[in-house]
Amino acid sequence: MYNLRRFILKHHFTLLFILLEVICVLLLARSQSYHRNRLVNTTNDVVGKIYGWGSDVGEYFRLVKVNRQLAGENAWLREQLAIANDTARVAYDIRHGDTIYKYIPAKVVNSSTNQTNNYIIIDKGSIDGISRDMAVVSSDGVVGVVTDVSRHYATVLGLLHSKSFVGVRFKNNQQLGSLRWNTNDYRYGMVEDIPTHVELKKGDTVLTSSYSLIFPEDLMVGTVEELHSSSTGTLNKARIAFSTDFATLRHVYIIKNLYKLELDSLKANFMKP
Amino acid sequence: MNKTALNIIRFVVLVLAQVLMVNHIRLGGYVHPYIYVIFIMLLPIHIQDWQLLLLGFLLGLCVDLFTSTPGLHAGATTLMAFCRPALLRLVNGNQKFENIHDPNLEQLGGVWFLRYTFSMVFVHHSALFLLESFSLSLIGQVLLRILISVPVSVFLIMMFLYIFKGERKGESR
Repeated sequence: MYNLRRFILKHHFTLLFILLEVICVLLLARSQSYHRNRLVNTTNDVVGKIYGWGSDVGEYFRLVKVNRQLAGENAWLREQLAIANDTARVAYDIRHGDTIYKYIPAKVVNSSTNQTNNYIIIDKGSIDGISRDMAVVSSDGVVGVVTDVSRHYATVLGLLHSKSFVGVRFKNNQQLGSLRWNTNDYRYGMVEDIPTHVELKKGDTVLTSSYSLIFPEDLMVGTVEELHSSSTGTLNKARIAFSTDFATLRHVYIIKNLYKLELDSLKANFMKP
Repeated sequence: MNKTALNIIRFVVLVLAQVLMVNHIRLGGYVHPYIYVIFIMLLPIHIQDWQLLLLGFLLGLCVDLFTSTPGLHAGATTLMAFCRPALLRLVNGNQKFENIHDPNLEQLGGVWFLRYTFSMVFVHHSALFLLESFSLSLIGQVLLRILISVPVSVFLIMMFLYIFKGERKGESR
């Protein structure tokens, strides 16, 4: 016992260092999984508040651009309203109405684009009805998925994350693929698992697929930049340009699926072994 | 001003400066300067070593809270704190620090500080980028990040130190 104490006292610097590093690596390893550990909730109200102050200042410098974006979106919405009014008289289709999805607007208080794993923090939290696994979109396209929620803020795992994974579909030939981010450039992503017979042109539209339980179908994701043919001749990849500009992201919408409970119970049934 | 109070203020200011300003510097995908490490660099030379480690850990953890990366910055800053005594000896060529209580530009000079900053930043950035990629498969990318980010950080840190040099003199009077 005496020897142990002497050993600890003698090497306390190294031992404490090893202990702290082990804690760090454990924290890091746990945070690497998509469903992050609840032990350390990295979304917290104090952090959100501080980012809020920071972004309040930054906001004034972007007002012109934001206004233009919102005006464009308004115009699009009015158009949609006109179309909806027309079709509503003919038939009422529950899937294409806004009935199963509710859009909640939110402001981005912090985001990054230059890390290997980028997160976005938004100013809506559990008291606004936000919960994990909700889809986040901007007026231009898909943004990401909510992974952590505190009372007033939420963390979003965006497309710019090494673990991000979104099921997509090419608009003109209905082919499915899976979108990942490994290009290190915030403007481009990579669609993988494309069968070799599928032909793609630059500019082809990429949408979310209907298989996702998180994203509604047919949301804009981006456009094809170039097709990478695989050397082994199995599955091709395509580099796509995101329609969302992550560098200037300010206003987003969280999509709440009103039938999520129902979907989840179904999912739980078929996920069982 | 009280030394402890000065260090607390420095801690808060540096973390906020890092997460609200420096993290938003975007110059291509490979430039990631980190200036908050100044806090560990400027701690008293004869600080208790366990205090040094715990402060390093705490500093990294605070930055991690803001970047949603628990353990990433904490791991890098803890390593940096662990290496500090050895690096100080290395930079000072085994000479004793006489009448010098904390690293400062006035007594130690610009060249000394540049070497000190460079070695500390190098340790921190290498650990950080390696931990971030969490594998050795992206080693080329990691090396590129280190190679580009270290000089930028060193430059920003030296600039920061020179800007606040005058004020520190005023305080000690």
